[in-house]
Amino acid sequence: MSILYNTEATLAERVDECLSDDFKHNAIKTAQEVFYKKRGELVEEMGEGWQQLRMHAMEVRNHVTENLDYYVKQFAQNAEKNGCIMHYAPTGDDALWEVLDIFEQHNACYAVKSKSMMTEEVGLNEILEEAGIKITETDCAENILQTAESKPSHIVVPALHFNRSAIADIYREKRGYDGTDVPEEITHFLRKILREEFLEAEVGIRGCNFAVAETGSVTLVTNEGNGRMVDTFPKVQIVFVGIDRIVPDLDALDTMMALLPRSAVGAKMTAYFSLDSGPRGAGEVDGPEEVHIVLMDNGRHELANSEFSDMLRCMRCGACLNICPVYRHITGHGYGSIYPGPMGLVLTPGLVGYDDIDNMVYACSLCGACTEHCPVSIPIHDLVRQHRINIVDQGKNHKIEVPIFKALGLFWSNMPIYMAGMTLGAPIMELLAHDGALDADSTWIPVVKNWTSTRDFDILSKSRFRTWFKEHKEEQAKNAEGGEQ
Amino acid sequence: MALGNKTLDDLINPISKQLGNAKVADHVDMPEWEFKAQRVTDGKSHDELVSMFEDEAEKIHISVAHCKAADLAACLAKIVGAGVPETGEPCTVVYAADERFRAAGLADALAAESLVTKATEWDETAGEACIEAARVATYGITYATAGIAETATIAQPTCPTCGRAISLLPLCHIAVVDAAAIVPTMGEVMADLAKEEKLPSQVCFISGPSATADIELVRVEGVHGPMYVNYVIVE
Repeated sequence: MSILYNTEATLAERVDECLSDDFKHNAIKTAQEVFYKKRGELVEEMGEGWQQLRMHAMEVRNHVTENLDYYVKQFAQNAEKNGCIMHYAPTGDDALWEVLDIFEQHNACYAVKSKSMMTEEVGLNEILEEAGIKITETDCAENILQTAESKPSHIVVPALHFNRSAIADIYREKRGYDGTDVPEEITHFLRKILREEFLEAEVGIRGCNFAVAETGSVTLVTNEGNGRMVDTFPKVQIVFVGIDRIVPDLDALDTMMALLPRSAVGAKMTAYFSLDSGPRGAGEVDGPEEVHIVLMDNGRHELANSEFSDMLRCMRCGACLNICPVYRHITGHGYGSIYPGPMGLVLTPGLVGYDDIDNMVYACSLCGACTEHCPVSIPIHDLVRQHRINIVDQGKNHKIEVPIFKALGLFWSNMPIYMAGMTLGAPIMELLAHDGALDADSTWIPVVKNWTSTRDFDILSKSRFRTWFKEHKEEQAKNAEGGEQ
Repeated sequence: MALGNKTLDDLINPISKQLGNAKVADHVDMPEWEFKAQRVTDGKSHDELVSMFEDEAEKIHISVAHCKAADLAACLAKIVGAGVPETGEPCTVVYAADERFRAAGLADALAAESLVTKATEWDETAGEACIEAARVATYGITYATAGIAETATIAQPTCPTCGRAISLLPLCHIAVVDAAAIVPTMGEVMADLAKEEKLPSQVCFISGPSATADIELVRVEGVHGPMYVNYVIVE
């Protein structure tokens, strides 16, 4: 399983590294602002219709989740009727096994792939490479990452952490590029080198944005056209479909497609959206001769009928990332999961459990902006909080939390102790303060340093609010009496 | 449990169990949906939809031309007759083996253009040669089945007379669409497809040139698919 990565570093270490990379978090900040603005304009244009679309999408997706076994079966049977070869993968390992089998049957050793989170989730590239199979990522950003041996920092535009000259250098070194740093020139170089690869590859591997149960169709949304190249030229095609990608019919597909591109990149539609129903028909010259669908669960069914079932509505648009103040600073690399940002905080532990995720679910201020922007109205921040509750209930929180909260509970519920603390607090703090606040000089004090290393902490007031209020009321009463005279 | 070779039941049983179902239902009725979304196209006349289709096309950098059915060949010849966009060099063309192109006399009109050095009609019997023609072509011409006003999208199904490569490999894609086939949203196209006995192997919805913003969010047009897209609306 490779949902988690860079786990040798702690969450704090990963976050520190991202915070100190100015280029990286400024790039994410710019992306957030661009997508946010464009999305906002489109949402405004739709007026009331936007909220109605969200609500409709929610009821459709909930209906599928409530009848998930039925719809998975219906999709599988109809895809088979279309002539697709079905492979069922309860786990990620089952999926890998099936894919290796397909390569072996065809004696194939060369594949092209268009961006698919499911394949990332199971670590497909690594397994294929171990088996001696060459696999080329064809989305521009994914190709940059593959060539640079890096990981995505954003789920929609994954190579934002490299600037243009770094990217040009990567291709100069690895692929003999001899052009300038201009994005247009680099992109056209990629068009040229990848086109040869598309036409030569034996197998095309792709993901699926939505699978239509009633027609057994799979769909793919791309802007670059790499998805189309992958589903046009290789004779054998492998489609990864998550059991949470299913919509009941073509009408529901239209609803989802009205929401997805607007939410993802602030566009009304992507350049390409293909609806694929089986291999090439009689008399067709291009398109795959064989379509294999790997229908994968990998822990998703456990979200159904649970406190996290809302998450099965997620369509991976990234709108929650584009609005998240925490993601803005720690970027996709801070979380250590291929699913970063608010949706990642809910989905990652939902799929891998709580044992290996460090303090990930605390990388959230619970501000709720994600929930407000989610096109399928997932209460994302409530679900993050639910994970925190579960972690405590299961005794998986840090052991020191229990005595600390017990002590704090005692302190706040016992009047004499509380009064003593408040009375002593102000003069003690004053000893350590400069200009009425604890500043960076107090970082030698444990716990306190977590706050004061980056901002000031105002000292406690010497007079209590209750005392002040009592005096204030007395004074007011006195003034009122004076006024009557 | 051994890896691989899992059955549909192996996949579904844990889902049923999680849902508390003893077995998978034989039939599930679609509920009456509580919400129906207003769309920006609601209440628009057909003429308004056609002009919305054009306006939206312009926003996503698609050039739009109009013609009468009788002038279709001349209109297409005029576009490709300008040669390669920007350079004006001689060009080659590949086009769908569509009855409507034949009826319009497209082959003759293209042959009369001095800058068109070769025009190839898609031919299912020619196999890979068609793909090669599309690979080197400057222009690929297809007849779309529908236009979507809301997003300036065209629907392009794959069939023996119109391969996927025509709208994908050439530098420029010209999609012809009948004005009468312009509908408000993708919903109407989906409703028509839902009536089909069997869906085409692929219906591609195309909205503009292939594009990316993967390097520093700078928009670049012409990645793996066409760099230029033209629509010809037939009155």
